[in-house]
Amino acid sequence: MENIFAVLPTPTAESGPFWEACNRGDLLLQKCDGCGHVFYYPRQMCPQCGKREPGWITSTGRGTVYSYSHIAVSFYGAQWESQIPYTVILVDLDEGPRMLSRLIGDDRDRAKIGDRLEVIFVEVEKQKLPFFRIAAVKPA
Amino acid sequence: MPKVTDEAVIIGMGETRVGKLPGMNSMQIQAQAVLNALDSCGLSIKDVDGLVNLDPYTIPNSMFSTTVGEYLGLKPSFISTVDVGGTVTGMTMLQQAAWAITSGYCRTAVCVYGENALTARPPGAHGFLLKNQMGGEEWEEPYGLQGMVAPYALVAQRYLHDYGGTEADLGAVAISHRRHALLNDNAMMKKPMTLDDHRASKMICSPLRLLDCSLVADGGGAVVLTSVANARRLGAKMTRLRSIAMRMTHNSVAVMPDIEDFGMAAAGREAFEAAGIGPEDIDVAELHDAFTISVLVTLDALGFCRPGGAGELFRSGAVSLGGKWPVNTHGGLLSQAHIGGMLHIVEAVRQLRGEAGARQVENARYALVSGNGGVFSVCGVMILERA
Repeated sequence: MENIFAVLPTPTAESGPFWEACNRGDLLLQKCDGCGHVFYYPRQMCPQCGKREPGWITSTGRGTVYSYSHIAVSFYGAQWESQIPYTVILVDLDEGPRMLSRLIGDDRDRAKIGDRLEVIFVEVEKQKLPFFRIAAVKPA
Repeated sequence: MPKVTDEAVIIGMGETRVGKLPGMNSMQIQAQAVLNALDSCGLSIKDVDGLVNLDPYTIPNSMFSTTVGEYLGLKPSFISTVDVGGTVTGMTMLQQAAWAITSGYCRTAVCVYGENALTARPPGAHGFLLKNQMGGEEWEEPYGLQGMVAPYALVAQRYLHDYGGTEADLGAVAISHRRHALLNDNAMMKKPMTLDDHRASKMICSPLRLLDCSLVADGGGAVVLTSVANARRLGAKMTRLRSIAMRMTHNSVAVMPDIEDFGMAAAGREAFEAAGIGPEDIDVAELHDAFTISVLVTLDALGFCRPGGAGELFRSGAVSLGGKWPVNTHGGLLSQAHIGGMLHIVEAVRQLRGEAGARQVENARYALVSGNGGVFSVCGVMILERA
């Protein structure tokens, strides 16, 4: 991929491990030791039962398109103009949580709801971001 | 069951002109809306001892209720600034005012919102500029999710997929709102719209086009509440708050639940139950319509049709003036102006007072107002009754 622009995240102490793991090529999720709930994004407690200090698991990075939109207008200035058109997606990860991301790849504009996806880490200014691409279909 | 109060009633409402109000700041716009609302019930600032407002989104302010209170010369014993998002903020204002009146903190309260979101926008800017952070930036911005159109586009794409809908369903919503706006002197949009106009309008974030988006605007609206006893003493025209119900499920679209699990259905069920009526009893509905898709999702969730049936309600005319449940009789955010949904409440009261002129729904008794803040993050439903 050439010419990817992104607004980089400002990690907190809590989210730091997530973004550091991205730089190693791992997509992390949190899992509650109490109720087993797997969730995104990282927090100091489980949003389902309230138990503190949830643990981390590594996602397979695979999921399904819940929805997508092709963005045709830049709302925030010239830097984004270079990215138009681009595609944002809601991914339902195989581990359960839903996350927002960006779909890349030559077949991006043929995305359909229900398509299988796989994570692909794209580096922008030394931070790898967890984007997705449409997964190669395995022969039956 | 969510109970508001039977002890406080709405006795007045007003709005400023909408569109471009050059030379007016948000404080002056809110003050003018308050004065217009007080005029509608023959009161003056001397009668007001409660003030609830929302500060401007475009240029954030702190303590904005005191800003507007001081300007108006008020010395209120109840004062509050609230922000829970589109139209739900308005309902929350009414809820707080009603409770303050019922518990004796004040006798007559004004709820107001307004700002100069259009003229205060920097040159060249697109869409609605939100200067405050909303908390989800870390999980949205790296992926290019910006502004309010893209989040609703994600909702729209999924909704159309699930129910086999098309862009023509969205177009039918836009056209009905435009038809209503043409009956409203205080609407920004003055020209009729056809399905071809809708289809030809610029794609913003698929599947949402320009004509699926609401209108960034300057303007304000206000509502006056007082105790039933005071309303009777004044001989005021009363509108009863039958129910207000709310449900928050999320904030950022990055982690939104399935569309069917948005809080609108739960809020609707509770609001109907508390009012002791159902959708069939509603005479007029003012539904938060930041985007065309918002109205379809809301009508489904409130039980006005089977899931996925809202497009047909628009195509058949059932939710246009002359139909069974006229929706957004003022033209809504889509074709009147986006004033945070405050004008939905103003219009509901106006309809129940029989003061809606060419767009009056005959003998309207029950009005439903719905709102959602964020991206259906918090949903609210309010039922009003002509007293």
